[in-house]
Amino acid sequence: MAKVGTSFPLGEDNPAQYSFALEYEGPPVSRDLPRAVPINLKQIPVAAVVAQVSVAEKLSLPVVQPIVATDHLANKLSKELTAADSTVSPTSVIENSRETASKELDSASEIAVSPVASGIASGPRGGAKSSGELGSSGALEFSDGNCLSGELSDVVSTAHGLESSLISLEHSRELFNGAQSCSTIEFCDSFGKSGGSSQAFRVSNVGKESIDLDGSNRLDWVSSGSVLSLECPSSPKTGDCSESNNDVRRNPVVTFHDDELDGGLEEEFSRDEQEVRVRRQPQIKGKKGSCYRCFKGNRFTEKEVCLVCDAKYCSNCVLRAMGSMPEGRKCVSCIGFPIDESKRTNLGKCSRMLKRLLNDLEVRQIMKAEKLCEANQLPSEYLCVNGKPLCPEELLMLQTCLSPPKKLKPGNYWYDKVSGLWGKEGEKPSQIISPHLHVGGPIMQNASNGNTQVFINGREITKVELRMLQLAGVQCAGNPHFWVNEDGSYQEEGQKNTKGYIWGKAGTKLLCAFLSLPVPSKSSGSYAEQSNSLLGRSVPDYVGQRMLQKILLVGYSGSGTSTIFKQVKLLYDAVPFSAEERENLKLTIQGNVYTYLGILLEGRERFEEECLSHMRKNRSSGGNGHIENHEEKSIYSIGPRLKAFSDWLLKTMVSGNLEAIFPAATREYAPLVEELWNDPAMQATYSRKNELEMLPTIANYFLERAVDILRLDYDPSDLDILYSEGVISSNGLACVDFSFPQSAPDDYTDSMDHHDSLLRYQLIRVNARGLGENCKWLDMFEDVGLVTFCVALSDYDKYTPDANGSLTNNMIQSRRFFESIVAHPTFDQMDFLLMLTKFDLFEEKIEQVPLTECEWFDDFHPLVSRHHSNSRSNSINYSPTLGQLGFHYVAVKFKRLYASLTGRNLYVSLVKGLEPDSVDAGLKYAREILKWDEERVNFSLSEYSMYSMEGSS
Amino acid sequence: MSVAELKERHKVATETVNSLRERLKQKRVQLLDTDVAGYARAQGRTLVTFGPTDLVCCRTLQGHTGKVYSLDWTPEKNRIVSVSQDGRFIVWNALTSQKTHAIKLPCAWVMTCAFAPNGQSVACGGLDSVCSIFNLNSPVDRDGNLPVSRMLSGHKGYVSSCQYVPDEDAHLITGSGDQTCVLWDITTGLRTSVFGGEFQSGHTADVLSVSINGSNSRMFISGSCDSTARLWDTRVASRAVHTYNGHEGDVNAVKFFPDGNRFGTGSDDGTCRLFDIRTGHELQVYYQQSGINEIPHVTSIAFSISGRLLIAGYSNGDCYVWDTLLAQVVLNLGQLQNSHEGRITCLGVSADGSALCTGSWDTNLKIWAFGGIRRVT
Repeated sequence: MAKVGTSFPLGEDNPAQYSFALEYEGPPVSRDLPRAVPINLKQIPVAAVVAQVSVAEKLSLPVVQPIVATDHLANKLSKELTAADSTVSPTSVIENSRETASKELDSASEIAVSPVASGIASGPRGGAKSSGELGSSGALEFSDGNCLSGELSDVVSTAHGLESSLISLEHSRELFNGAQSCSTIEFCDSFGKSGGSSQAFRVSNVGKESIDLDGSNRLDWVSSGSVLSLECPSSPKTGDCSESNNDVRRNPVVTFHDDELDGGLEEEFSRDEQEVRVRRQPQIKGKKGSCYRCFKGNRFTEKEVCLVCDAKYCSNCVLRAMGSMPEGRKCVSCIGFPIDESKRTNLGKCSRMLKRLLNDLEVRQIMKAEKLCEANQLPSEYLCVNGKPLCPEELLMLQTCLSPPKKLKPGNYWYDKVSGLWGKEGEKPSQIISPHLHVGGPIMQNASNGNTQVFINGREITKVELRMLQLAGVQCAGNPHFWVNEDGSYQEEGQKNTKGYIWGKAGTKLLCAFLSLPVPSKSSGSYAEQSNSLLGRSVPDYVGQRMLQKILLVGYSGSGTSTIFKQVKLLYDAVPFSAEERENLKLTIQGNVYTYLGILLEGRERFEEECLSHMRKNRSSGGNGHIENHEEKSIYSIGPRLKAFSDWLLKTMVSGNLEAIFPAATREYAPLVEELWNDPAMQATYSRKNELEMLPTIANYFLERAVDILRLDYDPSDLDILYSEGVISSNGLACVDFSFPQSAPDDYTDSMDHHDSLLRYQLIRVNARGLGENCKWLDMFEDVGLVTFCVALSDYDKYTPDANGSLTNNMIQSRRFFESIVAHPTFDQMDFLLMLTKFDLFEEKIEQVPLTECEWFDDFHPLVSRHHSNSRSNSINYSPTLGQLGFHYVAVKFKRLYASLTGRNLYVSLVKGLEPDSVDAGLKYAREILKWDEERVNFSLSEYSMYSMEGSS
Repeated sequence: MSVAELKERHKVATETVNSLRERLKQKRVQLLDTDVAGYARAQGRTLVTFGPTDLVCCRTLQGHTGKVYSLDWTPEKNRIVSVSQDGRFIVWNALTSQKTHAIKLPCAWVMTCAFAPNGQSVACGGLDSVCSIFNLNSPVDRDGNLPVSRMLSGHKGYVSSCQYVPDEDAHLITGSGDQTCVLWDITTGLRTSVFGGEFQSGHTADVLSVSINGSNSRMFISGSCDSTARLWDTRVASRAVHTYNGHEGDVNAVKFFPDGNRFGTGSDDGTCRLFDIRTGHELQVYYQQSGINEIPHVTSIAFSISGRLLIAGYSNGDCYVWDTLLAQVVLNLGQLQNSHEGRITCLGVSADGSALCTGSWDTNLKIWAFGGIRRVT
């Protein structure tokens, strides 16, 4: 904590300008100087805290050891304190406060009844135990108290043993600081938690590090404090930034404690108001109904109640005490704590007071937050189903099923999984919820405390139910055991045939209503239906956050990330592309085909030119016949109509507004394209497509079907979409939510699998450009669970100009990008999965171009048997192909690189973006890594290293 | 002219420039015979000094669940819009510290937001390369989401910054990772002009921040990863009016001085600088030696309404309040006891200058205001 004193050097450097301890030179003050308020010892509310220790029961309170010397010690301390105080002129508020507090301490230790007092008193000796006591005496805010008292004990232990009076003064001052904040929490809940703890820190710091500094500065503080309080009497905030002021604000003038919230904006705080509060403070003990913050008002004033700690605030204070209410109506210090269960019914029900104070929109936001925020949800362990407390997932399942139990309150319930009957333990069924949910244990025979000896699904039913069964015409003689399904069909145990439907008759439902027994709701469908709809249901936001695993998909441009992304959409999305998207896709693909055609036409012109010049040369040298020349020319030349079209297309391409002419062009030129494509000149050009560098390899796929694609009624197939370029905006970011389809709906024996259906994954695809040059925005992705880095294997012989304009190998650029991402501080502990893509192209290429083309791979010397081509068929004597060897080699290269950068293992998988199974396998692998990541903590280190991914290298 | 010759001349020119700079610096030192305190005394006035109570935290706006990345104030009324990593934008009432809207964004990776001058709509931009306009008055749908009323698409990189042209609800300027700034017409959703880009003399790296001149809304400034700031005239899209060099790192933040004749920058090199647009000079450098080898980046800057204070947020969690005249740190908001726990990512001073809002990685926003009483004689 280097915070202490950092604002001081300024003042010391340049006292004329920044010192706030200036002597007061202004005109005579018209107001009264603050005067010491006479303190009545009996009115000091130290011991009263005990009344509120109800919360503390949850803590296992350390028992205070009876220390004989306690009183003596405390007395000594406080005596020292008062002695030290007397050396300073007791004119200012601070002095007054100090005196007050010391007396407080005094009286407390003398009386020695309250836990606060004993806690403090035993502090120097009792250490942590006493601090625990101190904390719990804070009653309302025990975490705060604990933290603070922890610090306190720390200080105490460091300061312990030092005999100097200065230290002990310091020490005791801290003590009463601590004590005071503890005792005041009770009245003053607005006291920020963080503020409290940081103050505690500060206090401890004072004790530990800068004791002498403190001592020497003490007088200065006092004077500066008093000057300040004179100078700005209406400001309750004499400063947050200096420790002197910190001390000032610790005095028992209550208003100072909510400074964290109010700050200086509130000029309405005037001195006299503070006086009033000081006077009022002791009285609130007797007055039960007053506001917890301003201590005004009575039982009949309208008040808002904190959902956690039951503190009540009047309309003046509620906004300050509750701040921005991120979790609804809670004191600032209560944020994050579960609500008082008795107030659950009030959740989301707005009071008139809030409506008056805030506008409609604001109230709506608060109520929404109150109902939906995670901290306010029913804690799952409070719910027992069939004698087994629920885990959060089970509760979630219960709440998100098709017909969830209404008005879930903490308590014990029974649940008949077969029929969906649901009720409170020991009572008749209250509702029929969705059956077959995996919540709680098996149902018990005496779940509803029946005594009829008639059983439904292993539960002895109650008299009312039996009555209903009898009236519904079910034969109940002989204490039968029934087996009732969710649709109401019942059979006797051990028999196959269905005997009838309980709720089949209209009269039964009426009867049930009369006996207040449940009937199945209409919506409850079969199990399979449910599990499907579960995926589509909108789960609460906080659940969504927890259940969503994010996978980041990055790669250098051209590394196949978009293909994988599209494949995922096609694989897992029920509706991969909406009608609108499809229309856009169609236009994009058609535009691409036009571009390819344009490139071809350009090539054609070039070839024609070449051909002609070649001709001319031939003619000039050889002087062949005119007719032959004409024939030669016609191989690449086209008719005037097509020529016009070609010129027009090239012109629009050059001007760059190819997109603008759509979709009008399709209508007009579709027949023309057919003619063009069938023209021998085009076919001749197409056969020389390898000479056209501009033409991407993918173009073949589309050009072969150019005529089909450029029709008006063309509907892109999934494969077309996969192959097409630029479908997913290449400059931005795209994300898709998906979940792995359940393999089989009936294998619900494994509960883990069942939770998986709720687990959703989000694939976020970013390309290198979208991230910016130095990955400036990578920290936005700190919450992803796994980074998938794509590298195109076939890139090893491609060169593109890099940022500096020099031609660089694509593989090297990929590596550079990989390094920068791996080394990025955001991904410090992130797992990486390397997906090596475009293996099909790689296999072809490696036969022709050696892998050593890329300088990084110059030590690739594969041991390939000469007969590798036919050894593939020989399964016994299998030797890997050159492509596979190359893949393993590249994988190891990246693994080594990764290990040298991070010291961890890189996961590698081989993916062919165009094959759905391959992408599916790759993503399942990613899922395994994510799962493994969660479970890794359970394994010891040695096991982990054993588990490491050596297999793929 | 051969390359060697050119290089030689370049070297000579660089030397000349450096010597001129040195002379300039000397001249400034020579001319600097007074300081603010002395001048004020000579004028018979009391020097305005700053104390620790000048800015105290008076509100904490809690509600985001992710890092806050950007915030903006409405010109009138006390409302703030903020966007966060949780993929929401929240509209706050700064006085009551309550939310009036909490809207889920279609793309969660949002970097910037802006309030329209009329306070009726909000613009957000982020990694999806689109600037989305939300009309706060339009009805929410079943899930409580607000429909996007206009998508401004056309950028080829992330939208790093956006600002409405003052007093014009229909125009907006964005800065983007595709090295350009764009002036948009919101009613049509089309680009009015593009500043920079491939064939023009624009930024050579990602634009990170834009700021429009408050007194002359035709001029705006942009800061970029190429460690320069450029001044643009919206009528002349073809080239920048002026390029301001000096920074040695990415310029993360630019902000016009309230009088519109100067602007401040904050950069990855840990400095803030003040430039004058009339002379093109760098007026002041604000740099605090932190002693540690890692230099904290400046993430965001803002000027007080008078311009006397420059507030700068740093990547290490500090937030210095600089005296613009003296280039001295008045306060460090980051080290006050009730300050943010994470780095401060965005800053904004309300239109009337009465309050400062900071957003931080600790998911909170805090409002700071003057906490004492000052008598100015």
